[in-house]
Amino acid sequence: MAVANSSQYIDAYAQTFADLSEQSVAWLKQQRADALEQFTSTGFPAARDEEWRYTQISALAKTLFLPAQHSASIAVDAEWLKNYQLADAWSIVLVDGFFSAELSVLDGLPAGVVVSSLAQALAEPASAALLTDKLNQAVNFDENGFVAFNSAYFADGVWVHIPAKQVLAKPIQIVHVATQSAVAINTRTVIVADEQSEAQLIETFVGLEGAYVSVAIAEVFVGQNADVTLYKVQVESEKALHFGGTYVKQARDARFRHDNFALGGLLARSDVHTDLDQASECELNGLYLGVKRQHIDNHTRINHLKPHGISRELYKGVLDDKARGVFQGRVVVAEDAQKTDSQMNNRNLLLSNDAEADTKPQLEIYADDVKCGHGVTVGQLDEKSIFYLQSRCVDEETARNMLTFAFANEMVDKVKIKSLHDVILGQVLLRFPQEGIDKEWL
Amino acid sequence: MSASTQEINNLINQEYKQGFVTELETTTFLPGLDEDVIAKLSKIKNEPEFMLEYRLKAFRHWQTMKSPEWAFVKFDPIDYQSISYYSAPKRKEDGPKSLDEIDPQVLEAYKKLGIPLDEQERLAGVAVDAVFDSVSVATTFKGKLKDAGVIFCPISEALRDHPELIKEYLGSVVPISDNYFAALNAAVFTDGSFVYIPKGVRCPMELSTYFRINAANTGQFERTLIIADEGSHVSYLEGCTAPMRDENQLHAAVVELVAMKDAVIKYSTVQNWYPGDKNGLGGIYNFVTKRADCRGENSKVSWTQVETGSAITWKYPSCVLTGDNSVGEFYSVALTNNYQQADTGTKMIHIGKNTRSTIVSKGISAGKAQNTYRGLVKVLKSAENARNYTQCDSLLVGDQCGAHTFPYIEVKQPSAQVEHEATTSKISEDQLFFCQQRGLSAEDAVSMIVNGFCKEVFKELPMEFAVEAQALLGLSLEGSVG
Repeated sequence: MAVANSSQYIDAYAQTFADLSEQSVAWLKQQRADALEQFTSTGFPAARDEEWRYTQISALAKTLFLPAQHSASIAVDAEWLKNYQLADAWSIVLVDGFFSAELSVLDGLPAGVVVSSLAQALAEPASAALLTDKLNQAVNFDENGFVAFNSAYFADGVWVHIPAKQVLAKPIQIVHVATQSAVAINTRTVIVADEQSEAQLIETFVGLEGAYVSVAIAEVFVGQNADVTLYKVQVESEKALHFGGTYVKQARDARFRHDNFALGGLLARSDVHTDLDQASECELNGLYLGVKRQHIDNHTRINHLKPHGISRELYKGVLDDKARGVFQGRVVVAEDAQKTDSQMNNRNLLLSNDAEADTKPQLEIYADDVKCGHGVTVGQLDEKSIFYLQSRCVDEETARNMLTFAFANEMVDKVKIKSLHDVILGQVLLRFPQEGIDKEWL
Repeated sequence: MSASTQEINNLINQEYKQGFVTELETTTFLPGLDEDVIAKLSKIKNEPEFMLEYRLKAFRHWQTMKSPEWAFVKFDPIDYQSISYYSAPKRKEDGPKSLDEIDPQVLEAYKKLGIPLDEQERLAGVAVDAVFDSVSVATTFKGKLKDAGVIFCPISEALRDHPELIKEYLGSVVPISDNYFAALNAAVFTDGSFVYIPKGVRCPMELSTYFRINAANTGQFERTLIIADEGSHVSYLEGCTAPMRDENQLHAAVVELVAMKDAVIKYSTVQNWYPGDKNGLGGIYNFVTKRADCRGENSKVSWTQVETGSAITWKYPSCVLTGDNSVGEFYSVALTNNYQQADTGTKMIHIGKNTRSTIVSKGISAGKAQNTYRGLVKVLKSAENARNYTQCDSLLVGDQCGAHTFPYIEVKQPSAQVEHEATTSKISEDQLFFCQQRGLSAEDAVSMIVNGFCKEVFKELPMEFAVEAQALLGLSLEGSVG
């Protein structure tokens, strides 16, 4: 018996599912069938689900988003794309969820490094064999309805493999471009960084005007003593719905950093989960800016499974107009994970009477020799700081703009790739009153 | 295991000293719950007609509800038909008029608990309402309080003597449909305390209720209602204990506080229900709804709790800050050991302008216990300049226990300032070493550190309770020192 909010999708996607199933190798066919079964029984998450308490997804029930179709006729303006596509990175572009060879720039990848379409990788026996113990291994279908939905219906995505000891000189950028309206774009990304490798990756989500839904699930495997930084820049269209999930498995001594910029979309939800092995470290940073009627939801979960893990987390939110920001950060320290050191912070700035911030930091601790803490604040700009600037002949409005910008810019400044930093800075400035912010200083 | 861990364990592993059973002749209902039982209960209590209707309405609503499952506690489903809903010491025809008529066994029981009901004997300054299973057996200093205009009596008496106050206030803070256990309580509550402080009166002494579960296979469903009228002031203390038994017993209470303009209510609890044995057998399920409504401007409600007992504690003393400039406070120490589970915290709902709330929660978890702080701070759009400060600290003793923090913060007003901080750690070897190196024994050092950890909360307790609370944490050190 299908759940009400999902049954229309199961019916409408029946043909898609049959086609995808047809193309899949045996193990993948089985995974898709299991995922569909899970999706049929649970459907999309509902408000009674504690993890979705503050985020209602009734929009998915109101409109039926059909699967995006692969169409060669859709042209993406390469010049326009340059606003987002970095010149100094290898980049792979997905248009409406399908690999576009023309737009991708993958020349000069070091030998052994693979960046390719996931559909192509699954079609070739050699690479498909590599994916058997990766796909759906960092996340279960029962994690939530979107993961099950994605696992059952994804058509394409990205496969990145960085071999052992490989240190990449340039970042790899994955650009998701949405051009159509009223469609669901289902992509799956699998990133494997073998032991002692080092890589910086960027996931960029951009869209034209359309009202579409983007379901993007990524699985990241960071090998022993490897170092991976993943930036996520979400600037979907104003009418879009975005449901993103990044599920990470860190091996021993692995380092993982995730910088999450949630700027676009009408309703955007992002989940970042990471499992830490012995002495592995993770750093999760996030910035969410909500204007107009945006609803931006960020969930993170850090699972310390083994001793000596270190985690640091800082999420900042600025909410204006009628925007609503949601943050949930959960840190779980398992019984074995002694000597864990974890610190989480969430800071929210409310700029308007109609804005809302809901935040839920959580600590779940089963070991005794640990140092864990979290801090949360919700408030407005410090009156003393405004007064200080006013006493230096800065008018009040400018002072407010400067302080708001400075609050957000702390996160932008953490970005280590110059070209990416500039793209993000531009996007952040677009969403702020800019009066008084001298760009020469930045 | 290091020497210092040993000391901590000594400190935490105290025997339950209130676990005795009093042999008594009692009037006890047969187990089971239906509308007839409720009618019988209402009749035996001599309640006015409207109360029976109120109870039945609650009961019918309760039947449509499901037992909540969101809390971080685990227990087998409760069979509500196997519980007896009324048990009282057998009394003479009209009930006791004076202390002489109270069953000497009951008096003895309270004496053992250190709660003398004899006004001459006791320390002056605290009036006690003693609730034994389903009934209130004695209320002291009634006369003196009456002179001040204060009404302090068992709630069953208030139902008969002050129906107008009951009609106006009962269920006005915690409505019958509020939650599963509150609905059950509204249907079957048996006794509890009722306090009314008239306008401008500062209650001349501390008021206190001592709850004792004695009978087996019963549930205690108490109901407390405190109304502080304009400009009044009251400090109320609550204590509770139960015998050691292998079965779990249910205690589902509802406490409602109403603070009018400029009124101040201070509510302190030392909860020491039987926590079950070392293997997690037996103990009380303490599922309690406590809520205060700061209705008037400048009113203030302060909850202080020391939670050491119960197999499962599930309670969130809350403040609805309706009046402008009203203040809500919550100070809590929750200690769990062995297989105890506690899911406790508070809710602060900011509605009025310039409302302020402070939350200080200290959790100590030992053995295989799970200790959870769960709290909600909600600032509505109307609550301009609301201010909240929350601090939750957890101390872990042993590697098999858990400490969890689940705060919920919802803010719809930009001028609000909300801060939340939480830390979790164990007693640091450095601190212990520092104390020992200055000549303190290891156990004194541990005691000092644990008490220091809880100090912010203990200093909020009235003097008698502060002593009791420190003793509860520190008792086992006796005899091992010197």
